[in-house]
Amino acid sequence: MRGGRRIVWLIPLLLVPLPLVLDQYQQYVANLILVYVPVGVGFNVVVGNLGQLAFSNVAFFGIGAYTAGILMLKLGLPWWITVLPAGVMGGIAGAAASVPALRGVRLFYLAIMTLAFGELMRWVYIRWEPVTGGSFGMAVPEASVLGWALNVESRKFYAFLVLVVLVIMLTDRLLRSRFGRAFVAIKGNEEAAAAMGIPTDRYILLGFAWGGFVVGIAGSMYAALVGHLSPASFDLTELILQFAIIMVGGLGSLAGSVLGAALLTAAPEFFRDLPGFEELLFAVLIIVVILFLPRGLASLLARAHPLFDDRYFRE
Amino acid sequence: MAALLEISDVSVRFGGLTAVDGVSFEVSAGEVCALIGPNGAGKSTLFNAVAGNVVISSGRVLLRGAPIQHLTPHEISARGVRRTFQNGGLFAHLTALENVLVGLHTQVASGFLGLLCGAESSRRAEAAATRRARELLALMELDQVADHLASELSGGQQRMVEIVRALATDPPLLLLDEPAVGLAPPMRDRLGGIIRRLAKERGLGIVLIEHAIELVMSVSDRVIVLNYGRKVADGSPAEVRADKRVLEAYLGHA
Repeated sequence: MRGGRRIVWLIPLLLVPLPLVLDQYQQYVANLILVYVPVGVGFNVVVGNLGQLAFSNVAFFGIGAYTAGILMLKLGLPWWITVLPAGVMGGIAGAAASVPALRGVRLFYLAIMTLAFGELMRWVYIRWEPVTGGSFGMAVPEASVLGWALNVESRKFYAFLVLVVLVIMLTDRLLRSRFGRAFVAIKGNEEAAAAMGIPTDRYILLGFAWGGFVVGIAGSMYAALVGHLSPASFDLTELILQFAIIMVGGLGSLAGSVLGAALLTAAPEFFRDLPGFEELLFAVLIIVVILFLPRGLASLLARAHPLFDDRYFRE
Repeated sequence: MAALLEISDVSVRFGGLTAVDGVSFEVSAGEVCALIGPNGAGKSTLFNAVAGNVVISSGRVLLRGAPIQHLTPHEISARGVRRTFQNGGLFAHLTALENVLVGLHTQVASGFLGLLCGAESSRRAEAAATRRARELLALMELDQVADHLASELSGGQQRMVEIVRALATDPPLLLLDEPAVGLAPPMRDRLGGIIRRLAKERGLGIVLIEHAIELVMSVSDRVIVLNYGRKVADGSPAEVRADKRVLEAYLGHA
C-alpha cells in the first residue's frame, strides 16, 4: 500500500523536461501554476480539512510575498533565504487569524471576520509606505538560489518545483497522521473530538498556522516570479480566485489543490486568445465544474485510480 | 479506597433554572449505574457536567478521589472518562477504522517534527495504532465494515463503532448517553449483553442514560432516578421499580 503510493512522487519527475517544450510565456504560466498550488494546499487545510470557513488566505499570501520582497530589497538577502521567513511570517499570521475561531466564532461570522484580516493587511501595505512602497508597490530584486540567478523562467520552474514537492510531501504526512485525523474530527464534531482527548483549540491553531506557513511560502514564490508587489494583487478578487481553486479542485484534497490551481491559473491564459469572452468563459468553466463535479476535479482522479483518493472530505 | 466516580452535591444552574440540584452518588469499578427520569430531569446535564461539557455551579466531581470538575473535556477524557453521544457522535467524514484511530489519538506517540521528517518512530506508532484499531473492531465483529465511511453504516453498527471508539484507550469509566435509541430489539439485547460483559469481565464503571426501561432493568446494578434535577430514588432495579416516588416522577401525582 505505501509502496504503491510512492509512485505518485514520480509525477514531478515527469514534469522536469516540461520547460524544454514550452515557450517563454507558457513557462511563465507553468510557474504561476506552481505558485498557486501551495496557495490552494494551505487554504484547503483550513477550509477542507479543519472545516473552518476562514477567508484570511490572501493575507497570508501577501504577508509571505511582502516578507520576501522586503528582506530582498531592504536587507539585500538572496531570495532562497527569504522563503522560510516568508513561511514563518505566514504561519504567525495564520496563528493570529485563528483567534476568532479559538474564541468560538464559526461559519459566516468567521468568514466575515477573517475577510477583514485580508483587507486590514491591504491597508498596511498601502500605509507602510517607507517599507512596502505604498500603493505603487515595490520592485523585487532578481531572485537567486545559492548564487544561481533565477533570471529565466525555466530556472524559476525548477526552484518552484522543488518547493512545491516539499510542501505537498510535508502536508501529506501531516494530513495522514493523527494530526490530520484530529483536523477532520474537529470539522465533523468538535464536541466528540474533545471527548476523544483531542485539545481542539491547539489543533485549530496548528491547522491555521500550517495553512499560513504554506501560503506564506507561496507568497515568496510569487514575489520571485512577478518581481513587483502591489496592494492591488492581494484584494478580494484575488481571494475569490483562491477560494475557487479549492472549490473547483476539491475540498480537503491535496490532488484537488493541484488540479484547481492548474485549471484556474491556466484557463484565463487560454481564453486570452478569445478577447471579449475571457471572463464569460472563466465563469462558465467554474459553474460547469461545480455543477457536474460538486466534489471537485479531485473526485474525477479518485474515480480514475484509488491511488489518488486522498480525500478526507467524503460524503 | 475512593470510588471510581464520586458525584458530590452537584448543582448546575443556567440563569434562573436549576437543571441539576444537589445530586450525589458514587459509581464503583465493575458497576453499571443507570440514570433515568422524565425528559428535562437533568440526566444529560449531569452527564455533561461529568464529561466537562457543562460547568457546574457547586459541588464536586471526583475521579478516583481527584477532583475533575474544573477540567476541560479533553483533559477529562485523557484521565479515562470516555463517553458516547445521544445523537451519534461518529465523525461522518471518516471510516469506522479512522473513527477508532481518533479514539486512540492520545495513545499514538508521534510528535509533530518527527512526523514531518518522516521519522521511523512516527510511522511505527501509526502502524501500531492502525493494527490495534482493527483488532478492536474485530472484537465487536465490525472488521467487515472497518473501511466504510461512518455515514454508510447501519444505525446499530454506528452505535457499536462509537462504543469501540470510546473504549479504544481502555478507560476505567464509560458514559453511555441513550445507546439504544433507534436500535431494533435484537440489537438492543446484544447491546445489553455487551454492557454487562464490559462491566463484569473488564471491570469498567458504566453510567448509562437510557429510556428503554427493559434494557435499564436488565443490565443495571443500580438505578438512579432524577426528577426536576433532584435525585428521587437510588437502588437496585427491583427496589426502584417498587418505589412510589418513581411512579410519581413519570406519571405525576395520582
